[in-house]
Amino acid sequence: MTLVLVAMLIIAALLYMMSGPRLITPMTILSASGALDPHNFDHRIIETIRLPRLLAAMTTGACLGLSGLLLQGLLRNPLGEPHILGLNAGATLAVILATALPLGIPLDGMARPVIAACGGGIVFLATIVFASAGKTGMTLLKVTFCGIAFSALASALSSAILILDDDTLDKVRLWMVGDLSAARIDTVGASLGLLGLALGAAFYVSTCLNALALGDDVATSLGVPVRKVRFIGIVAAALFSGIAVAIAGPIGFVGLIVPNLVRRFAPDYRASVVLSALCGAVLLVLADLAARLIMLPHEIPTGLATAFIGAPVFIVLVARAIR
Amino acid sequence: MTSQTNNYSTAGYKLFQVGQFEFRLHAARSIILSGLGLVLVCLGVFSLGLGSQDIAPGDIFSLLTGGTTLSPSDHAILVELRLPRLVLAIICGAMLGLSGAAMQSLTRNGLADPGLLGVREGCILVILFLTLTIPAMPMALRPILGTIGGLAVAAATVSIARSTSNLRFVLIGIGISWLLSAVIAMVLVSLDSSDAQPLLLWITGSLSSATWNVVPVAFSLLMFNGLLLLLASRSSEILSLGAQSAIGLGVNLRRTSIIQLVAATMLSATCVSTIGGVGFIGLIAPHMTKLVIGNNSHASVLTGSAVFGGLLLLGADTIGRVSFLPLQLPAGIILAAIGVPVLLMLLWKRRDEL
Repeated sequence: MTLVLVAMLIIAALLYMMSGPRLITPMTILSASGALDPHNFDHRIIETIRLPRLLAAMTTGACLGLSGLLLQGLLRNPLGEPHILGLNAGATLAVILATALPLGIPLDGMARPVIAACGGGIVFLATIVFASAGKTGMTLLKVTFCGIAFSALASALSSAILILDDDTLDKVRLWMVGDLSAARIDTVGASLGLLGLALGAAFYVSTCLNALALGDDVATSLGVPVRKVRFIGIVAAALFSGIAVAIAGPIGFVGLIVPNLVRRFAPDYRASVVLSALCGAVLLVLADLAARLIMLPHEIPTGLATAFIGAPVFIVLVARAIR
Repeated sequence: MTSQTNNYSTAGYKLFQVGQFEFRLHAARSIILSGLGLVLVCLGVFSLGLGSQDIAPGDIFSLLTGGTTLSPSDHAILVELRLPRLVLAIICGAMLGLSGAAMQSLTRNGLADPGLLGVREGCILVILFLTLTIPAMPMALRPILGTIGGLAVAAATVSIARSTSNLRFVLIGIGISWLLSAVIAMVLVSLDSSDAQPLLLWITGSLSSATWNVVPVAFSLLMFNGLLLLLASRSSEILSLGAQSAIGLGVNLRRTSIIQLVAATMLSATCVSTIGGVGFIGLIAPHMTKLVIGNNSHASVLTGSAVFGGLLLLGADTIGRVSFLPLQLPAGIILAAIGVPVLLMLLWKRRDEL
């Protein structure tokens, strides 16, 4: 399974590097990876345009897939997804606020993903606190509705700020629709430390998720520190989605599709961490490839391409979960 | 006119006869509703005076009596800019309120709203295609064709969900509205940014381009569909007892449902084609009504939702228009800020059943 996904990732990456308004042959890509010729036009395209965007797509996709996996495992809910649960909208609002307010926070490097993760985490907490109230607990409907409600509030605030403040609008316009063409490669580099931290947390949490899937009581009796695991898992999920939003803006539905797909082949949560990361990377690379090519010479935002796949998946999941 | 009391639960009702038609009015509820109408008028006059050019209420009233004391520029601002905007805000708010009330009664689901179910997106998509392909199409046709788009989406949602009253229906409607939003965004992306800008503002829902020439179409469709819904209100009241009992009591289930669905969709489509996609009113207005005058008669819930819808949209538009002068916020943003807390309150109230 892992090997298949790695092979798919390599093929997807190769396709991604080759295609575009200018076709680049695999031989050229090979020669560019051997020795970069600064005077060769194709090599310049690879170095300055396609490779950074490919790396951003892979990182973002892996983060979104992992965030979705953790959320679905922790909430025991197939609709757990950073977009649905308000993490994306919250992260976007936090970055816009930090850009608009004269706080003197530098928005490059580590600060960007951290701020995004905090914003996403706050909205997410509000969502689950509201959704878990009542005798019925956290049902699909309540989670989705609360997520939509808090997302709508955060988006309305973001739009209000952007309408009132032209400077901020200029800085975030492309990024905030969720598009890898505006991906910030410097953020990818700066997030590597955070990424490692979140990955470590994800591996730790995944060892407990199998037990947690049987219910809180069973997990406790099996010796799983439920509260601690849940806390670490939520922080890690917020970090993953914060990194993804900081790089590429709010991109939905990858976190919904990937875990639901992976867990059909690998029900064990420990194995599905690596698989989700790989699968997310493959999916986003392919989605972004489609977004770049489908309407040549126009490009559509990456987030739209994922919505086209993700919204039908959502409908199917709902139709299957509620009879 | 005669008043009577009989053994049905008509306490508080007064019977009026006009020719061979007779109808009952509930005194307390009528007074509350007229009071709300009065609030709406006051808010309207107050809102007319506000803006980058303040105009005193006395001068506005002088317009009514004929002996106008306004300067020509103030007169133009009032009559050509603010008045059509005010009238459209009230009409469209009423349409959205009615549409939401009808949708909630049809699906027997308090969380139903044309915006959440994808019906609005269906209307937007059809009207968007028409504006792009046949720019010369007459304004009056747009709501009708938009209605067809909305009905198609409603039909798709119902056929996937197989039933309207359960939670599956709402969630599947949300999924479909996401999908359609992606299609709409795709259409917008493929346009030049100078063409896309006004369309984007329209989709967000803004009254800033309101003019007199859409008012007659919007008003006549509001009246037509409002009357349809009022006529069907008795049957839909009985329907709230459940489909089986309603059929037993002689309600034409199919006709009542079709009237409600078509009228709700057409109201939503009209609103979309005049001011764009404004959300949340259809969800909130019926619940505000039920809070104030109770949920005893569907006709008064409909009327109340229309009044509350007008109040909400006028209020939101006024706040958006004047609070950050000289910049304006679209009414949709203000409505989200009001609507989300209400939605959360609804979820909180029903937290044990959902």
